[in-house]
Amino acid sequence: MAREATLRKFEPAEAPRVPAFGGGDPPAPPRAFKPIVSNARIAILMFIAAEVMFFAGLIGAFIVFRLASVEWPPPFQPRLPVGVTGVNTAILLLSGVVIQLAMRARASSETQRVLRLLSATVLLGTIFLLVQGYEWVRLIHYGLTLSSGVYGATFYTLIGCHGAHVLGAVVWLGVVLARVRSGIAGRESVQLAGVYWTFVVALWPALYVLVYL
Amino acid sequence: MKTRIFLQATLVGIASAYSGAALACSVCITGAAGERLTDAFNWSVIFLMAMPYTIVFSIVGFFVYAYRRAAKKARAEEPAALNPASELS
Repeated sequence: MAREATLRKFEPAEAPRVPAFGGGDPPAPPRAFKPIVSNARIAILMFIAAEVMFFAGLIGAFIVFRLASVEWPPPFQPRLPVGVTGVNTAILLLSGVVIQLAMRARASSETQRVLRLLSATVLLGTIFLLVQGYEWVRLIHYGLTLSSGVYGATFYTLIGCHGAHVLGAVVWLGVVLARVRSGIAGRESVQLAGVYWTFVVALWPALYVLVYL
Repeated sequence: MKTRIFLQATLVGIASAYSGAALACSVCITGAAGERLTDAFNWSVIFLMAMPYTIVFSIVGFFVYAYRRAAKKARAEEPAALNPASELS
């Protein structure tokens, strides 16, 4: 009787369950994992975050100098070309719109359209740099230099750093353009360069308002 | 535990009462409230303090947006018969 009770204890209460897919096709293998945000995109975001903090430091220093001064711009200093730089700002903003169109065209795999739009972006960026350089030469001729005072030092440091970033972005876009034309560009190369160009374009209006106006 | 909290509270109270110790800082002793340079530094500090939060929340917001976009795309690509949630909506 004890033995029967022990056997009953280990008897299954019901018949063993049959798997739901028993007898049918095996389940499909799991799909390859594709990250929502690619590693390259995360890397460019981290890089842009570092660049933003770099410019934040420069802008913070500029804020101290500007707000601490009784009169800004200081007296007897050349006046900045607000009008010409305003037009230059419009050119740079237009290049930002064009690169967004290029990124969308790349997503749709319209290669010829991507080439045209990338070329236009590079052209507009180059025009921006040339106009900035011309204005700089004029300002130096009028006496505003890096060592002429706080006004010149902050101007050339802030605007110069932005100009260096624009130059680097133009070179990057040029390399991407050449690779797309050759057919060896990576899938995300246009997107990554476009994101960095968008950052450089979006930064400029803040600097223009802060420094020129 | 209670003794430690009592000692810490006592130290904080003494430090608050003896506020003259703050004058040992070169920025605090030279910058009076309302002066142009002090205000300029304050604005700069506020701006620089806000930047890391702005960056982090922007990046987090982008990840949330990318996740929602991917989830929406995945729901749109799944066949309706295999998605029981579609029968409930």
